[in-house]
Amino acid sequence: MKAEGRITTASGNRRRFATAMAAPPFVILAVMTAYPLIFTVLYSFTNFQLLRKTVKFVGLKNYIKLFTNEYFLQSIGVTVKFTVFAVLFEVAVGFIMALFVESIHRERTAKILRVLLLVPYLLPSVTVALSWRMMLSPNYGIINRTLEALRLPVYNWFSDLHTALPMLILIDIWQNAPFVFLLLYAAMQSVPQSQYEAARMDGASYVQQVRFITVPGIAPVLALCALLRTIDSFRIFDKVNLLTGGGPANSTTTITQYLYAYGIKNLKFGFGSAGAIIMTLIVLVLSCLYIKKAVK
Amino acid sequence: MKMKKVTALVLSGMLAAGVLAGCGSSDGAAAPAASADTQSAPAKAPAAASTEAAAESTSQASEGGEVKGDGQTLTLALRSGTYADVIKDCLPDFESKYNAKTEVLELSEDDLHSKVALDASNSDGSYDLAMVDGSWMAEYTENGVLLPLSDYGYELDDDIIPATTTICYSDDKLYLAPYYGNVTVLLYNKQLAADADYDSGDKIASLDDIKKIADSAKAAGKKGFIYRGDTPNNTVVDFLPVLLSYGGWVIDENNQPTVNTDEFKKAMDFYKELVATGEAQEKDDLIASVDQGNGALGVGWPGWYTPTADTTADYCAITGAVEAGGETHNANVYGVWTLGVPANSQNKELAVELVKYLMDKDVQLSTIDNGGVPCRYSSLQNADVLARYPQYKVVCQALEGGVYRPVISQWTDFYTILGTEMGNILNDQKTTEEGLADAQSQLEELMSE
Repeated sequence: MKAEGRITTASGNRRRFATAMAAPPFVILAVMTAYPLIFTVLYSFTNFQLLRKTVKFVGLKNYIKLFTNEYFLQSIGVTVKFTVFAVLFEVAVGFIMALFVESIHRERTAKILRVLLLVPYLLPSVTVALSWRMMLSPNYGIINRTLEALRLPVYNWFSDLHTALPMLILIDIWQNAPFVFLLLYAAMQSVPQSQYEAARMDGASYVQQVRFITVPGIAPVLALCALLRTIDSFRIFDKVNLLTGGGPANSTTTITQYLYAYGIKNLKFGFGSAGAIIMTLIVLVLSCLYIKKAVK
Repeated sequence: MKMKKVTALVLSGMLAAGVLAGCGSSDGAAAPAASADTQSAPAKAPAAASTEAAAESTSQASEGGEVKGDGQTLTLALRSGTYADVIKDCLPDFESKYNAKTEVLELSEDDLHSKVALDASNSDGSYDLAMVDGSWMAEYTENGVLLPLSDYGYELDDDIIPATTTICYSDDKLYLAPYYGNVTVLLYNKQLAADADYDSGDKIASLDDIKKIADSAKAAGKKGFIYRGDTPNNTVVDFLPVLLSYGGWVIDENNQPTVNTDEFKKAMDFYKELVATGEAQEKDDLIASVDQGNGALGVGWPGWYTPTADTTADYCAITGAVEAGGETHNANVYGVWTLGVPANSQNKELAVELVKYLMDKDVQLSTIDNGGVPCRYSSLQNADVLARYPQYKVVCQALEGGVYRPVISQWTDFYTILGTEMGNILNDQKTTEEGLADAQSQLEELMSE
């Protein structure tokens, strides 16, 4: 009886100790995530403008305004286009980079390459944007100068309707493909070498080995890369804002750029919050689809 | 066991307290609630607070004369670039004379606007002096962001170019002091202009002359007119001198949008032809284009470029005439950077002293060698200054005939809508008629909100 009582007390203590230990992260999560999220949702139903002293409940007005605004709908289209192309190419380029480094047998060379290939990902986005702006300048940019020297046509890359969005996608691929490379390269290390040896003995070509051993072996990580890059690409802002400001003629206005121009810059946080909620829901739906697919 | 429990509780308590410590709400912060017609109650109306403090300070000033600091630090929120540099050069002298310290925060235009606005909701402000763009004036004064400088005994003197002071007052009270005389000018490449028979800026007397130079440059395989098409704001601002030359404007006397008028359409059609001779570039590229002779001309600001006898580019005032000998209009648009003191500054008296000091005739004259452009006759018409920097004659002319962007609280939304539609027109996504009709309807909706 006495022993039973001691056991009950001990397990109760353990539970209380566990609760106490788990409390700080819960508090942090509540303060850092739940609190801002709840307020963003509340703001989205108001006409909250930072400088105005009065705040009025406006129901779904902000949401209706967004969904009836041709430029917001256009910005969803631009964001989707940007995300699809950026994610596809980042995964493809990252995969090719990983295969290339994996195929190098000299450890020292592979090590140097790994570090060099990672450099773009380590740079801050602002630095990347400004560096590319200089390189693509129509006056002093090295790219136009080189094209001129080769007698090829030159472009005003960020001000041309046909080149502005592709350039933003290209810069994003340049910066983020190394992230995909890093994850895929690590995943490739876990594919058993014996499978490759067996395939080689059976006369499988390099392409067949990649297709039937490497890709199935790293499939969950490929899905994870696509998921992470999709979430990140959907929220693209810094490069767009710095390089094109959403122009020319709104052709590069993503959802975040639209919200900045129409909701944050003019301090209309109520309207901006409604847009942010819509964007979060879109990303959430996309993420769920990916996760569902990846779990299958 | 008991010790473990106590330690765990103390640790988790400390962590939670640490997190919550940074979340104290400020007295004046407007906390919206999702109920109909709720109204937040700021701790103290800024205007009332400033009047009380003004009365207090006036008595202090009258007894003690000039306000001196007691070693406190003033925080300045300034527009980065030359605008901040000229002020920073003057600060050491102010610090020693007034026994104060200063800290300067250099910000981009958008950051400056939002940071000052965000800070306005705090009862104790972080900034003591802020650079303010004229177009923010209505928004700031309507919401009590700025301190009435006249309540603290500061008034503008007659030496300041009168046209630059028009937006500085609200309800007969002075809120802003025009500090940096930014005004649109026509930046042109001397050689490309000379190739079109315009060997001096004085000869560029109309929009037709501008078009002739642009056409001549294009015919020579160069870019003609370069404009900033990167943001709606820049698109609108670069176009306004053309619109003014055609006698148009973006709002009428009742603040109703007037962007679908005959004048606007004519100006837009002319501008479309003009920009077709060149291309859209961002600011640094525009300057480089004109300086290197890759482009003939563009709308610029004195703070961007310092022309001398040796430079390849120069600037002149935009005359406001469509054709030579035709009717002229005030066509130079102000981007004057003014100085204001936030109403929640914690060092109001000393901050006003800093405004007085920076606006002083002699101090302003001393900034010229560092790129300063005072809005003062005594600086811009000074014989020594003109001998060294002849371009100040042009700046003075431009400032005398300048026009501020509309002083309406909706200006940020206004130029976003208008600039977006203009971008569509200039990039052939919409016809002039379609774009302007769409802009007009959206702007009417905005102004009726």
